[in-house]
Amino acid sequence: MTHTDALAGVKILDFMWAIAGPASTRILADYGATVVRVETTTRFDAVRTVGPFHGGKPGLENAGMFYNMNAGKLPITLDLAKPAAREVVLDLVRWADVVAESFSPKTMQAWGFDYASLRQLKPDIIMLSTCLMGQTGPRSRFAGFGNLAAAISGFFHPTGWPDRPPAGPFGAYTDYIAPWYNATAIMAALTHKHHTGEGQHIDLSQAEAALQFLGPALLDYTANGRIQGPAGNRDRNFAPHGVYPTRGHDRWIAIVAENDQHWQALCTVMGRPELANDARFATRTARLDSQDELDSLIADWTRQHDMLEAEAHLQAQRIPASALRSVRDLYDDPQLQQRQHFVDLSHPKHGTTTVEGSRFKFSRTPARVEGAAPTLGRENAYVLETILGYSQERITELVAAGVLE
Amino acid sequence: MLNRYRVLDLTSERGLLCAQILGDLGADVIKVEPPGGSPARRLGPFYQDRPDPDTSLVWWAYNRNKRSITLDITTDEGRDILRRLVKSAHFFIESDMPGTLAELGLGYPELAADNPGLIYVSITPFGQNGPKASYADSDLVILAAGGPLILTGDDDRPPVRVSVPQAYPHASAAAAAAAMIALYESLRSGQGQYIDISAQQAVAQATQSTLLAAPLGDADSQRMSGGAKLGDIPIRLIWPARDGHVAISYLFGSAIAHFTQRLMNWICEEGFCDEATRDKDWVGYGAYLFSGSQEAIDDYIGLTELLERFTITKTKTELLEGALERGLLIAPITTTEEVVHSPQLAARDYWQTLEHPELRQSFGYPGPFAKFSTCPISYRRRPPTVGEHNTEIYLDELGLSRQRLADLTTRRIIA
Repeated sequence: MTHTDALAGVKILDFMWAIAGPASTRILADYGATVVRVETTTRFDAVRTVGPFHGGKPGLENAGMFYNMNAGKLPITLDLAKPAAREVVLDLVRWADVVAESFSPKTMQAWGFDYASLRQLKPDIIMLSTCLMGQTGPRSRFAGFGNLAAAISGFFHPTGWPDRPPAGPFGAYTDYIAPWYNATAIMAALTHKHHTGEGQHIDLSQAEAALQFLGPALLDYTANGRIQGPAGNRDRNFAPHGVYPTRGHDRWIAIVAENDQHWQALCTVMGRPELANDARFATRTARLDSQDELDSLIADWTRQHDMLEAEAHLQAQRIPASALRSVRDLYDDPQLQQRQHFVDLSHPKHGTTTVEGSRFKFSRTPARVEGAAPTLGRENAYVLETILGYSQERITELVAAGVLE
Repeated sequence: MLNRYRVLDLTSERGLLCAQILGDLGADVIKVEPPGGSPARRLGPFYQDRPDPDTSLVWWAYNRNKRSITLDITTDEGRDILRRLVKSAHFFIESDMPGTLAELGLGYPELAADNPGLIYVSITPFGQNGPKASYADSDLVILAAGGPLILTGDDDRPPVRVSVPQAYPHASAAAAAAAMIALYESLRSGQGQYIDISAQQAVAQATQSTLLAAPLGDADSQRMSGGAKLGDIPIRLIWPARDGHVAISYLFGSAIAHFTQRLMNWICEEGFCDEATRDKDWVGYGAYLFSGSQEAIDDYIGLTELLERFTITKTKTELLEGALERGLLIAPITTTEEVVHSPQLAARDYWQTLEHPELRQSFGYPGPFAKFSTCPISYRRRPPTVGEHNTEIYLDELGLSRQRLADLTTRRIIA
């Protein structure tokens, strides 16, 4: 590859941890930003303790999610409780264009690394602080992960069945929304700095960013006073709209008819052409009024079929449909394979680890996901020597003082 | 921050959020709608349940800070006008199926010939290439294809989605991040480029890396009532409270053990467990649990049941207040009504009021996605009515004559 990376020369000091923060700077690392990721061994990153693990074995250096969130970054381990570590951080701040952190509010302040302090040191620094509820307000110290931010922001209540307790979206849901906004915010601030020379502080509440994704439901309350609750898989605009059982254990297919053409084609694929003329289902409005019947007659058909075969039949007639491969089986999804969604990286312990590639394709400055996945402390020397230009004596002193732990 | 930049937003109902994000950041966004208005305007819910192109709440949610023009780009004249607009644009965002705009002579090579700095973003279900590139889709289909759906819901029922569509918000927000990276690059190179966004790949992010199980050699993850099975480990996330439900991160390991210890302290103080249970090694418990032995899983399930005996005696508010006081990982499961009345969002002046003069009403909108210290996001424009800015843009800015505009309107090229 001969292109210059899109973000070549962009320098990021990354104090992020868990999912949302590191996933944000991972996006920028893919496009060539130099990201120095600080980790402290007194409190390992939480994602090192969550599967999937290499070989199914828990272990700090076995957690695939850690590498997936941090591929391409340069790690440095620092014991921030030690004064000498503080000097290293301040040198890194002098080096950086952007400081990004995802601690609870006041954590950076306690270390003297809050925006007001860093700005004294470097007036044009850009700092992104992201936590669940934002840096201010009565619940700013509300701690937790994206599952809690999703619960308190209204994502759990409309997810599930009307006759059951809420199911909630999978995992730390707002951790998957915030990275798009964090990366966008950092790039906007860098663009602003390019034009004006000004740095700034960005206070990004994971909850407030995620609420953009509930916009229609929030407006339904503010404009109509209506609370949207759980609706299973039904949709207020389209029917049929569901997940139907197929042959085999826990095998499903999602099928949607957004218009009359989809519905008529579906009737043909199901071998029920007479339904296409049935007044109960002829229009979108009629179908929305007959969802129980629709769901049961579609399930009668899907149960007889393999989910992948059904998907192929339906898509051949341009009907929106997808089998629900298990997440493990998605590795073999021909589309994800064709898109090179999975990338193998060399790994000092495992030989190879696998991460997800960039989720975008750029025509001229494509992502490079090549950097060895960071392992605990192994590249401290690189950051200290190459980025900070420390002498060997200074590094030896830091090691002796236990700073790099 | 982006005041000097112009965005042409050609997206259908898929992709609207991308340009809204750029508009929030200050860009001049021109929403180019087909005659009669965007298909997104037909999506409910509607204000007062009166279906009308200007009362769709889906439209409202994703089109603030945009101006609207109508244009039939399938006609030669419409295409020529669009190409004139492209000359003044920095971003071109579209969400048609692969190849559709190219057939109209509006593909990236054609537009880049007119404007080499143009950043052209295509948001599609599965990306521009591959065996599923022409697959028909919808929110539910993308969530199925990208992985999140199979992980969500009760284990004795079909997998279930968030009933507010999420797939295209993910793809669109991803597209905004990509567009901003390309913009920054163009400051150096002076050149634009083509960006290909796959909604399937965007939502795959919401599988929490579980789709790496196969290459890493770990077990599959599955949905579970009240939580999810990560590999073989049943991780519970939802507990009953006296008046509803709460989510709790009841997790372990060095980064989280202190939260769990404090929760166990509270449970013990109130007499729900003994000191030995309270003082388990919560740092090491994660590795113990993820070892996947039956003994470990049974022990964990016992703990989740203990926690349930405790939570069910408290209200959601009591649990949240306790969490704030004691530093615990507990959140109430809230409705949109509770979100709108959140004291936290009020204290941060989150909600923005936009006046809709056409309805003689003002409405509360979800606020800025972030607080920027030098150039705060402002809500300058409510979502536009159909073709609201035709005169302003075609006459004043593009310099069409009144006569020409009237003629194009009569022939429904602009309408």
